[in-house]
Formats: sequence, structure tokens, C-alpha cells
Amino acid sequence: MARKIEKLAVANRGEVAVRIIRAAQELGIETVLLHSEADVASLAYRLADECVLIGPGPAGESYLNIERNIDAAIGAGADAVHPGFGFLSENADFAEAVEKARMIFVGPSPESIRLFGDKISAKNLVKKAGGPVIPGYEGDDQSDATLLIEAKRIGYPVMVKAAGGGGGRGLRVMYSENDALAAIDSARREAMNAFKSEKVFLEKYLDHAKHIEFQIFVDSSGKAFHLFERECSVQRRHQKVIEEALAAKLDPHVRNKMAKVAIEIAETARYKGAGTVEFLYQDGDFYFMEMNTRLQVEHPVTELVLGVDLVKAQILTAMEMPVLWEQHDLVPRGHAIECRINAEDPYQGGLPSIGELGGCYWPAGPGRRFEVGFEEGDEITSHYDSMIAKIVVWDESRYRALQKMKRTLKETVIFGLKTNIPYLLAILSHPEFVEGTMTTQFIEKHFSKPLASPEIGENETAIIEQLKHNISEGASFGARGAGEAPSPWKALK
Amino acid sequence: MRAYELNLEGKLVRVFAEKRKGLLWFHYQGQTFAVDLKPKSTKQKTGASGGNVILAPMPGKILKVNVKAGDAVKAKQTLVVMEAMKMEYALTAPSDGKVDTVKCQVGDQVSLGAVMVELALVTKESGEKKA
Repeated sequence: MARKIEKLAVANRGEVAVRIIRAAQELGIETVLLHSEADVASLAYRLADECVLIGPGPAGESYLNIERNIDAAIGAGADAVHPGFGFLSENADFAEAVEKARMIFVGPSPESIRLFGDKISAKNLVKKAGGPVIPGYEGDDQSDATLLIEAKRIGYPVMVKAAGGGGGRGLRVMYSENDALAAIDSARREAMNAFKSEKVFLEKYLDHAKHIEFQIFVDSSGKAFHLFERECSVQRRHQKVIEEALAAKLDPHVRNKMAKVAIEIAETARYKGAGTVEFLYQDGDFYFMEMNTRLQVEHPVTELVLGVDLVKAQILTAMEMPVLWEQHDLVPRGHAIECRINAEDPYQGGLPSIGELGGCYWPAGPGRRFEVGFEEGDEITSHYDSMIAKIVVWDESRYRALQKMKRTLKETVIFGLKTNIPYLLAILSHPEFVEGTMTTQFIEKHFSKPLASPEIGENETAIIEQLKHNISEGASFGARGAGEAPSPWKALK
Repeated sequence: MRAYELNLEGKLVRVFAEKRKGLLWFHYQGQTFAVDLKPKSTKQKTGASGGNVILAPMPGKILKVNVKAGDAVKAKQTLVVMEAMKMEYALTAPSDGKVDTVKCQVGDQVSLGAVMVELALVTKESGEKKA
């Protein structure tokens, strides 16, 4: 009773659009990219078999607009839609609209998305499944007075979160009664902007917890698998920066208990496809945080330690075909680390770096994987987040993976925009990270200040002088550089 | 971008480099440098009043304006909150002073380098005003 997918619409952009397009093409499925005006200059646009413009740069008029995505997908004759992550990937109305248009939504059912999308109903489901939840307040009374009383009852520090939230948006920590109202105000504003709902809830803020999440997958026959955990404790303003699989330090006993809860949640919810159950782990106890009903940014680390392809598994499941593995095939080997490469200035506190991407060199090698969304000459705009690529490495042990990541980052060259690579290198060398004992407070504790700009020493001065000399002699910069030649893709389109 | 072979005290080193929009970019020993090749003007940006000018450090949207003309402000006080790339950023006062003019309002879409707030410095008895 397999359903056929012949043409897959990709309702996303950047490196994840590239990831999905390639997976589909390898499965012999045609792809159509639904893109904004701002993303004509991007790798996904060059790789897709077909491209349909859905609107201008601002996401509200393009990537977040359900009608335009649906119309474009129908117009292109697509029979399925992959939402990637972010944007409409966890929007139940979108999943519903896709099905109503008689296309296949590559993801869970609208009911599952709705259930886990509301963080409060998600918490209630987890309680039903017997999972541990963080103490908090989830009431309908959203007045300042009630929230303040509840925060006091829970005990500071307390986190205020958007009920419809995710991805770190609409989320603030209140350390005392003094900054509580400002935090609530700010969380509401961001929640309204991002999720069109001001509703917030409160949660006890665990101040030395590790972020550990379990990848789960339910195939088309309803069989639930767990694909072990990832650790994403290195976060800045609740945005993950570095992720790894498996967790740096986790008692196998606790791992088994967490995996069981994760599976239980998936089964209780009659979930389908790829999902991630996020936990906080502190002092031997773990608590359910949220369930993400989509592919995760950091899915490659799981793929590398288990030897699976989660995007292909998603597409196969959408076609009601079996995946190629059983639970006993899922045996982790070695260690994988992912670094998110963001266009930002590490010497100015992570200020976004916007503009045209210059020449790039991605130093390929064994166990090095580059998830890249843009090429030289592409414009990085302020419409979307600042992630331009991900670098993922695998090696036989955590220590070796760490060494490999450092080498890879040092060899990587990105010109034209500032990137967070120096910041990533500093984190990877920090004793707490090397030790594996970091918590979600790691960056706040050790990297709250911008990095010091690199010194221009004697060698650098000599290099600048000689390079300058090269110009004056007429060796025009880049004229013979491979990167400057027009891309064959650009020439073809 | 291309690789250049340069001579550093007799040793040959390979350096990736590229010139782009007046900046010389090069990658040496795992670090990327961007050097301004134009002669730098060392003058600080000053407003009509001789005080500091707070510029938008990136294009984005103004979310909050916390001050109005005439307000006294303290160093590091948040003047304006803006949003870009889905994150909020606070623009703060570099030193104690007084708000001279506010040139943005909530909801504005501003471009890189746009003047947001002009501050008049608090002049001390001995302090000389910059021309």
C-alpha cells in the first residue's frame, strides 16, 4: 500500500534545503524548491530540479505563508512537501493544508504537531506517559500578578517560555522579582512576533543541567525506534552552538531509562516519522522539556554514529515504505560533533555579519562532513537566521573527534563575512568542554564577553605587505582563483 | 580567493587571500584576518553637539526606544532595542551623557550605519569640547 512520491516540494532554504534536495534526488525523486526572492542566490536554488518563487525576502510573506507555499507546490505538480526545520515545519495548519491539497506532508500528522506544539498539552501527555516534567505554571490566567505569584511559588530562577514556542525564541530567564516583569514582557513580545500568540508558561530554571535529547523514529507500520541521544549543552541565548552524539558523559543506566521514556512518549502520542524528545539532566535526574516534531538541525551527528540517513527514512516513511534498519542494527560507533557556522562577528559579541559571501574553502577529508547552503557571491541577508553552514566530524573516540573538529575549523576558509569559527575554537579548547562536564550555563559562564581581536603580529604584517605588493604588481586578486570563475551552475541557469 | 606563496624570513608559506570591497582577507595559521587597505581616519564619529552618535550596527527593525531627547543616560544603559536575524540586540550608551536627539522610532526598518540616537557628552569643567 505504498504511496508514490514523484516530485517533492521543499518548503525551506539554506543548508537544510540542500540536504533534502540531495536525499530526494538520490532516491530518484524530482525536487521543486519553494523560495523567496532573497534566496535566488543560494546553493539550493542551483541544485533543485525546479524552483518556484513564493514571495519577497521577509519570511512572513514567503517561507511562513501557508497559502503561497501550497499554491506553489500544487502549481508545480508536487505530490509531497518536506518542510525541513524552522518556518512551517511545526505548523499543524500547514500540514493540514498540504493533506487537504491531496499532497503528502513529510512529517507527523497535524494532530501530533498540534499536541506537541502546545508545550502545555505536551507536558500533560508526558505526565500521562509517566515521564518526569519540570515544576512550573501552565495556567490560563496570564495576568502579570498571577505570573509573579506563581514565579515566586516555583522559586527563582524561573524561566518564562512562549507556549507556542521553540528554537529558543520567546524564552527568558528571570533571576529575581526585580527583572521578572521585563523578562515576561520581552518573552511575550518575541512570542507574538514569532508565533502570533502571547501565551507564556513558567518553568523552574535548572541552573546546571545538561541538554540531552533523544532521536526517535516511528516507521509507517507504527514501529518505534530510538536512535540514541545527542548532547546540545553548548547554547547561546538558548540557541544551540555545538552538538554531539552520543552525550559526553551519561550513565548507561540513565540512558536506558531516558530512551524508554522517549519511546513511551512516541507510542502514547501515536507519533509517525522523525522526532526528538528533549530532556534536561541535572544531578542524576532528568526532566522532559519538549518534543520537536521535525528533523533537527543537528540530525547529522546521529546519522554519523549510527550509519543511517534520517531524511531518506522520512521520505520512505511518507511513502509508506519500510526503513532499512531494525532496532538491533542501531549500534552507536565512535563519536560525532557538529559546529554551526554563523555569519557573525566573534569580536563584537556575535553581531550579525551581513553581505556578500566571499571565497570559501571547505577542507574535505575522512570523517569530515560539510552541510553548506551558500557559495561565493551569494548574499547573506538579515531576513533569516545567521547560520550559513554546519561542519560535522566523526572519529573513533570523543577525543579524536574533538581534535578533528579543531583541525577542520582551522583549515576552513570563509572570506567576505565574519564567522563564529574563532569562537567555536575557543569553546572546543575549554577544559570544561574537553572534560565533557559542560552544562547549558557553559557559554554564559565562560564566554559572555566578546573574544579579543587577533593580534596582527610581525608575520601578519609581513604577509599584508607582500600581498599588497602583489596587487601593485598587477597580479589582480582572484583573477586566477578558482572561486572567482563563474560557477557552472550560474552559467547553466 | 586563491593561494599565494609568500616568503616569511626565508620560509615559504602558503596563504589564502582575496581582496573584496576594499578589505584584504587572508587566512594564516588557522586564523582569518580582514584588513582595511584604505588609510584609516582616526577621528571618532561625533554628532552636531560634539557627543557620541549611536549607529545601527546592522540592518534591522526597531523594537523599543527607551529614551527621549533631554534624558540623562548612564554608561551601558539600553537606549534602543532592535531585531535582526531573529534575535534582539540592545544598543547601549558608551558613556554617561545626555540624549540630544532620537532619530528612530518603534517599527522602523533601519539600514546599516543609520543614526539612531545622538548623545551630548557631559562636559566636565576641565574637559574641552571637540570641534
